[in-house]
Amino acid sequence: MFFTKHSALTAVFALAVAAASAQTKTVDGIQNMRHSALSPIYAGNEVKGYLMFGRGDKADRKNDNYLLDFYDQDLAKVSNVTVQKPSGRFTLLDNSFNGSAFAFYFFNSKDETLELETYDTSLKKLGTKVIGELTKGDKMMIANQQKLEDPSAGGMMGSGMSLFPVPGQGFVRNGYTGLMKGYTLAMYDDKLQMKWRVTSPENSKQYETVGITEASDKYLLGMMMRRDGLMSRTINASMVAFDVATGKKVLDQPVETSKTEQLSLSSFSFDPEKREFVAVGEYYKPDDKPFVNKSLGFYIKRFNEQGKVVSTKNYGWQREVASLMPAEAKPSLEDNYVNYTHSITKGADGKVYIVSEQYKVVGDGLGIAMTALGGRGANVTKGKIGNLFVYEIDPQGKLTGVKFYAKDPSTATLPAGSSYMSAGIIGHIMKMQGDFDYQFLQKNDANTQFNAVYINFDKEKGAATKRVIGDIAFGNNGKYAVDKIDMTSDANYSYLYPAKPGYVMIADYYKKKNQLGMKLVKLNI
Amino acid sequence: MAETLASFEPIMRLPLPFCCPSGFTLALRLLFVLLLGTGSVFRAAAQAPDYLPYYSKDTLRVAQLAATQRAAVKTYFALPKEGNSAYRDHYRQVVQEAARDVYNSIRYSALLDPVIEPFVQQVFARILKANPQLPAGTRLVLTRNPEPNAHAVGNGIVMLNVGLLPRLENESQLAFILCHELAHVACHHMENGLHEHLTTLHSKDMKREIRRIIDSEYNISSQIKALALGFSLNTNYHRRRHEKQADSLGYVLLARTTYDAPQAYRALQLLDTIDEPETTASLPLASYFSCADFPKTFAPVPDKPTSIFTVQKTATALETTDTLKSHPDCAKRMRFLHTLAQGRVAEGPQPASSPEFARIRYVSRLEVIQSWFDYDCYDHALFEALLLLPQQPGNAYLHSVVQLSLYELRQHLQDHTYSEVVSNKSTRNPKNFNELIHVLHGLSYDDFRGLSTCFAQATGAAPAAPADEYALAARYASTSLTSEATAAVVLKEQYQKQYSGGKFDKLLFPAPAKAVRR
Ligand SMILES: [Zn+2]
Repeated sequence: MFFTKHSALTAVFALAVAAASAQTKTVDGIQNMRHSALSPIYAGNEVKGYLMFGRGDKADRKNDNYLLDFYDQDLAKVSNVTVQKPSGRFTLLDNSFNGSAFAFYFFNSKDETLELETYDTSLKKLGTKVIGELTKGDKMMIANQQKLEDPSAGGMMGSGMSLFPVPGQGFVRNGYTGLMKGYTLAMYDDKLQMKWRVTSPENSKQYETVGITEASDKYLLGMMMRRDGLMSRTINASMVAFDVATGKKVLDQPVETSKTEQLSLSSFSFDPEKREFVAVGEYYKPDDKPFVNKSLGFYIKRFNEQGKVVSTKNYGWQREVASLMPAEAKPSLEDNYVNYTHSITKGADGKVYIVSEQYKVVGDGLGIAMTALGGRGANVTKGKIGNLFVYEIDPQGKLTGVKFYAKDPSTATLPAGSSYMSAGIIGHIMKMQGDFDYQFLQKNDANTQFNAVYINFDKEKGAATKRVIGDIAFGNNGKYAVDKIDMTSDANYSYLYPAKPGYVMIADYYKKKNQLGMKLVKLNI
Repeated sequence: MAETLASFEPIMRLPLPFCCPSGFTLALRLLFVLLLGTGSVFRAAAQAPDYLPYYSKDTLRVAQLAATQRAAVKTYFALPKEGNSAYRDHYRQVVQEAARDVYNSIRYSALLDPVIEPFVQQVFARILKANPQLPAGTRLVLTRNPEPNAHAVGNGIVMLNVGLLPRLENESQLAFILCHELAHVACHHMENGLHEHLTTLHSKDMKREIRRIIDSEYNISSQIKALALGFSLNTNYHRRRHEKQADSLGYVLLARTTYDAPQAYRALQLLDTIDEPETTASLPLASYFSCADFPKTFAPVPDKPTSIFTVQKTATALETTDTLKSHPDCAKRMRFLHTLAQGRVAEGPQPASSPEFARIRYVSRLEVIQSWFDYDCYDHALFEALLLLPQQPGNAYLHSVVQLSLYELRQHLQDHTYSEVVSNKSTRNPKNFNELIHVLHGLSYDDFRGLSTCFAQATGAAPAAPADEYALAARYASTSLTSEATAAVVLKEQYQKQYSGGKFDKLLFPAPAKAVRR
């Protein structure tokens, strides 16, 4: 997005009024395009717009003009904001909308600061906050996050440093103390006045990191990982909840240990209607090892706001699930796959839907031998990603449907030592690394229609990998439908983004033409 | 009515309400439609509708006309001797593009039908006869473009869109619009405009200014934008001046004919509201598309804002500078013409059109519907057809085009190109059009079966045997939408036998390779 002499001349002609009626948008003069340059803006469940962040021309000797371009959910340009920041040293980490304000989370690598800016819905600036004195842990996470933004990586990336919208109240920012020794959480109002800040206890013997999973009107939910040391291979996961008003930790419940069974945690969320916390994962015999032994089934545990278990439902593979399991799913179940739960969502009719994807650690013979001999096991542990499931549970907690969606397997490279970790942890690592094919779940505001969107990498022999967007639609009408969209195009990069209900958005970047084409694709469901 | 030399001034192009992404695609689609026909439209049987959009397998005439006019543009805009090399290069490039545009728009959209075309040609001839001083070589080309507009190309071609005809009340109003375009030609507006435009662009001043901006290193983008804005303001100023001249001379040309000169004023008045549809009432969607088999409710479009943004649209300098506004400009032009005509003007709705002109308006309207369809703008095709249908409930062609549009929409939904053939809701659209596209946005694959079934019921029993190519294609479409595939196969074979390589052959029965599109 800067002008050479040639493009300066063409720019004179480029003021033509764009044909604004189609649900497509072409943006010229884009010199590079990453997946993260565009991000959906959510209001509640629904995508209500897009933010495009990019570097423009030079503002002065030291600074560049950075452009924040806003589009509505139909891809019509709304407005733009220009900020002048250090040349080439300013990146967007996250954007978030809480219903009353937009917040942008930047990293200024020149000054080594984090910068927050908030704007109201008319895009008038509300507040600015500069956070200096970053810890080594913060810097590590930022570096990690930026590494994952490689254009060829496509897909989603983990959120190491993020900003969570708290509806109507403000935003929560997470951070790390020391060299990932502990965590910090800070809550700001729309004008970026700090409301509270919490830090993991100084005297804690263990390393603690918290991944925020959800912010509701009352709670900030997360999964806490505790380790004895940074390189420790044993990680214990807990469900934690903080009071949004004060930052006080109100729940801290370990899940992976139990006297009668071993549990893995896949998901932790809050059910605002029943005022209960919901944990979903798989259960094993107490002495069994994940991946080595098969899990017995999946569980749903509900806790009240005081952290007391109010219900535990087990859905055994051989029992409840088997009777509903489609025949075509059976081979993969024999294959030691476990499920990673991507989303648990409750429909307006009280039904609960669980979308999960199969994964497992595959032994690379040489790698395992090397590791066994004490060699460095870097890159020897591979993950394999399998098929998708949707489980449907009625309001009484009875499993009423199991839907199986076959796709081509894909692989993931896991960090050294992964084979010693529990199934749940490995699943989270794979999620953080963006290894799963599942992309996102779209829901409408009424919670009556859901779309689970994934990408199927179809590796046909000899041919280039074909990318097919898969969409599983379900909801109030009781029907399950699948739609497949061929993503193959002559673009250098094609990226997939969430869109308004019933659509997905595809952005095609053409390097030669410096052009980005965005289009809404109506799902055929 | 603008003077345009094809791509010469993209800055002043009006946004086209095309749902389709580019003119190129439109041209391609028309190419498919036009290339692949052999069947005759007038193979009609007993229940033939009174008019069917024109279609001919003979493409030789348009091809010849297109080639002749392309050559004429090139000859007319011979490379000037003056100007620096950048100017001359640019000039050559603009003329190349203009020639190509003229060729394409004639080749793929000229309408050489036996009803409308002879009519508009005789109006044009009458004007020329009354004004022998007009430059030789002027020529009128009627196009299938459904937009209500006309424009002149420098070498004397006047392009008249068929979309304009249904919007006029009488022949005299058409005559004034043609006179206005001829005035542009007579005043050499296109070549003067091109010259002024390129001279400014390649002037020493402009070069110096651009060099200064680039050398300044900083905020180049906003500086270039400011420069470009100034440039378009200037260009628009000249354009307004040209429009005033064209009105003025156009009025004089009209006054020399036997047409009714006071209609010039009324023509401008009509142009002022040309973006509005014939009626603002909601389309009777429920009565056509809801029935016992498919009891769909057509809820009103919610009024609540769908955007989370509350950004006030600040008008750009181009929009606010009073003299440069494109629409209120019409009011100014009307005042000017009022003075020129010394108050002898026709105002407000005119008496009913003559039977001959009423017929032209009517058949043009059907051509417009078919054009929207051929341009892949099925939302517009449906809208126009449903607007006319209450007045013509028994019109078999309208029934056909609705079924065919539904079929194509479902095909595009299946191919994931639906968003490319259905427009966005917009405050610039008429309310009843927004209502229709709101419904279209909400449809799912299975809905099309219900829509087609209900529409067939609402429009009455169709004759046992389809009477014409449109009816047979529509029968195939509705059968595909509502029945098992086997029933449609029979109709496909019948169509391919009866209208081998016909108008809808490629569209309805594409080669399998075409299936890969997104
Ligand atoms: Zn004009």
